[in-house]
Amino acid sequence: MTNGDVHALSGAYVLDALTDIERATFRRHLVSCATCAIEVAELQETAARLADGAWSVPPPALRDRVFAEVSRTRQDAPTPAKPVRPQRNRRLFSVAAAVVLAAVAATGTFAVQERRLDQQRTTAQAESARVTEVLSAPDAILRSAGSTSGVRLTVVTSAARGEAVLTMTAERPAGADRTYQLWMLDGTTPTSAAVLPPGTTSATRLITGTAAADTFAATIEPEGGSATPTLPIVGQVSVA
Amino acid sequence: MREQSHGDPPRDHLTAVPAPVDDRSEADRLLVAVGRGDEGAFRQLYELVAARVYGLARQVLRDPAQAEEVAQEVLVEVWRTAARFEPSKGSATAWVFTIAHRRAVDRVRSEQAATDRVQKAGSWSAQTPYDEVSGEVEERLERQQVRRCLDDLTSLQRESITLAYYGGRSYREVATLLNVSLPTIKTRMRDGLIRLRDCLGVEVPS
Repeated sequence: MTNGDVHALSGAYVLDALTDIERATFRRHLVSCATCAIEVAELQETAARLADGAWSVPPPALRDRVFAEVSRTRQDAPTPAKPVRPQRNRRLFSVAAAVVLAAVAATGTFAVQERRLDQQRTTAQAESARVTEVLSAPDAILRSAGSTSGVRLTVVTSAARGEAVLTMTAERPAGADRTYQLWMLDGTTPTSAAVLPPGTTSATRLITGTAAADTFAATIEPEGGSATPTLPIVGQVSVA
Repeated sequence: MREQSHGDPPRDHLTAVPAPVDDRSEADRLLVAVGRGDEGAFRQLYELVAARVYGLARQVLRDPAQAEEVAQEVLVEVWRTAARFEPSKGSATAWVFTIAHRRAVDRVRSEQAATDRVQKAGSWSAQTPYDEVSGEVEERLERQQVRRCLDDLTSLQRESITLAYYGGRSYREVATLLNVSLPTIKTRMRDGLIRLRDCLGVEVPS
């Protein structure tokens, strides 16, 4: 995509009319383009004025439910958590690593649950050891992102090892005859990272060859997986 | 909405007119207070924005029950993330309605994914024609500045923006619906919004 093409996406971007991949590409572009960021802020403000044309009185019960949920919902910190870099903050990283290890444990020790055959156990244990190595790598970085589709992806990458540990937790199964498939994206080029067994709502995978990956993503695919992702992406985490 | 054309008074018309245009600085003040954990401010902010959050979700999703779910998610997200609102980067109302639109569109897209894509591809173009979307919106925009400014756009600009914003369409769908090339649609969305921005006198402090 040339710069000209990217610039032209600002209108479709603020109207939420892009695909997830285009949206991610455009957001990356915004980081390095100050004039685009100003234009987008102005167009975002403009688009939001269109909401004046869509008002509709909500059912009174909505107010009660929102206030009830608010009263038991803890507020987030002022700025979104930045990727934790161990070089700069070891203590925070150990917390992050603990979170991932807990997630790994909670998602049911892939070594045992998903590799039932004895003969595979040795392989699984070796893989488990590599998971631990990635998590404790000196250059490991943890990133995590949830989606409105109820899919959270947490990934720890080690650039030096070219490996990552990817954990997916979904609020619900992928559906009848469907399954979750995990991908790594290099720009807009997807590579399948794992096809999860049908019915799985949480899983952890060691992923190799991640040097070029800038995004990890999950999609819902027919059982057995697909060669290319079926849109939309139901969860993604950027590692660029 | 469609069912109301058979004699029942349209409910949407029995209610107060939307909050006046100068609600924006009030919303800014309230959202900053919400960011500090002020539940009273949240309740006031709710009264200012809930009708538009719910209405937008309903306009995009077409299904009142789903719209209610999405509106609840959005309003709770506003509470949860309010501390991230920076008045220097835009208005509180834009911040809230940006979240609302995004969440409504996310829901549309995941619904589309959940249904048979092939079947859907054949039938979606017939679901909400432009005239239907724009007709409902026009009624609500009566007497408002946004309406006058939308009227100033070329028809292709106006249709592109309306289908994407109120119809929750991707620009590819809009291109198909209007039988126009993808680059043209992208360009019309952008230059249409720029014209709208200038007409509304939108400014972002920086």
